[in-house]
Amino acid sequence: MNKQEFFAQLEEFMELDEGRLTGVEALDDLPWDSLAVVSFIAMADEHLELAVKPASLAEAKSVADLLALVADKLDN
Amino acid sequence: MSESIFHGVRMVGVAAAVPDHLRTLADDAKMFGDEEVFKISESTGVKQRYTSSTLCTSDLCYAAATKLLSETGYAPETIDALIFISQGPDYILPATSCILQERLGLSQNCAAFDINLGCSGYVYGLWMVSSLIASGAVKRALLLVGDTSRHCSPEDRSVSLLFGDAGAATLLEKSDDDLPLNFVVGTDGSGANHLIIEAGHCRMPLKPENQIRVECEGGNKRSKADLYMNGAEIFAFTLRVVPPLIKKVLAGANQSIETVDAFVFHQANKFMLEHLGKRMKLPPEKLILALENVGNTSSASIPMAMVTHLRNRLQKESLNLVLAGFGVGFSWAGANMHCGPMVIPELIKVPVPSIPE
Repeated sequence: MNKQEFFAQLEEFMELDEGRLTGVEALDDLPWDSLAVVSFIAMADEHLELAVKPASLAEAKSVADLLALVADKLDN
Repeated sequence: MSESIFHGVRMVGVAAAVPDHLRTLADDAKMFGDEEVFKISESTGVKQRYTSSTLCTSDLCYAAATKLLSETGYAPETIDALIFISQGPDYILPATSCILQERLGLSQNCAAFDINLGCSGYVYGLWMVSSLIASGAVKRALLLVGDTSRHCSPEDRSVSLLFGDAGAATLLEKSDDDLPLNFVVGTDGSGANHLIIEAGHCRMPLKPENQIRVECEGGNKRSKADLYMNGAEIFAFTLRVVPPLIKKVLAGANQSIETVDAFVFHQANKFMLEHLGKRMKLPPEKLILALENVGNTSSASIPMAMVTHLRNRLQKESLNLVLAGFGVGFSWAGANMHCGPMVIPELIKVPVPSIPE
C-alpha cells in the first residue's frame, strides 16, 4: 500500500469523495469518529500487518499524524 | 495462556432466556436520529435487542434453568453444583447462586458459587465445571451465565445500541465417553479500565455526584456509575489475543479449521467478528454471527448463539465446536469440544413485571 492508497482507504471508511484528502486536513473537520478509529485499526491490521496503538490514534490531530503512524509500512 | 484437557464430561443441554420487551432501531432513532443509528447498526450488526429495567440476570437464568431441567427430565435434586457467572448479581451479598439454589429447588448438598466475569465468562465456566466433573468432585452441574444492559447510559451510543439482556443455562454431567475437552485461558488486567463501571462498589462508593451524566467523547453522556467502553482498545486487544488463542486451542486439540464444524465466539459486534474471521481465514459459513436480533449479551452470547443458530443441528448431531470468549478484564478463554446431540429448548421470552408502586 502506498500513500495514495492509504488516503483512498481513509476516504472510503470516512465516506469522503475520492481524492479529497491531501494530508493537511485536521481530523476535527472530518467524520473521524469512533467507528472510523476502529476501521483504521482494522485497515492497519489487514493491509499493513501493523498493530496501531489506540492511545496514539487518540492523540492524532490531522491526516498527516495518521500517515506518520503507518509511514514505515507504506510503499514508496 | 494456560492450557488444560479434561475427559468424561458431556453437555446435556443449553437454554437461553430474554425479557419479552423488544427494543428496536426505531426506538433508538428517537434518541440519536435515523442516520446515526443506521450507521452504528451497520457496523455492530445489531438490529434489535431485548431489555428490561425490572428483570435481573438471575430471573432470566432461572427461566432458562427451569425449562432446561424440565425438558431434560432431570430432577433438581440431582444437581451437585450451580455456578452463576455474571456482572449483575442480585445483591452485593449473598451470592446470587445461593438464592438460585433455593429458587430452583436444588438439594442442600449442592455446591453454589458466583464468578464475576463477562465476555469470557461462559467458556471460563465450562472450564471450571469440566474441571469439577473430571476431578470427580461433582457428577452433574448447572452453569448459569448472563448480564443485563441496565448499566448502559441511554445517552451513550457507544454502548446503548449494542447490549441486550439475556440469561443462559447449561447442564453438564459426567460421561463414559472419552472425548477430550480442550481449554486455553488467560488474563491481562492492564486493560481493566477500558471496560468498566467505576462507581457503585468499594473502590468508588455510589454518591449523588458520581451518578450525574456528563458529556464525554463524541457527545456521549455517561456517569461514573454507567458502563464505560473504549471500543478501540477492546478491538486492539482482541486482534492481539484472539488469533493466537484460537491457534493454540486448535493445536492443543490436534484439530484444524477444516475439522471444526463451527466457531462460536463471544458475539461482541459484527465488525470485530468479521475482521477476526478474515484475519484467521475462517470460512464465513463456519463463523457464527448471532447479534442481529439480540445484541451483545455478554457471557450469555455463546449459549445464545447455540440456541438461535445451531439448535436444529445440535438437537440431532454432534458438532465439533471451537468456542471463545474475550473482553472485560481483559480476560479470555477458548475451548474445543464435541457438543450434541443435546436438549435445546427454543429461545425463552420472560414476561417483564411492571415496577411495583
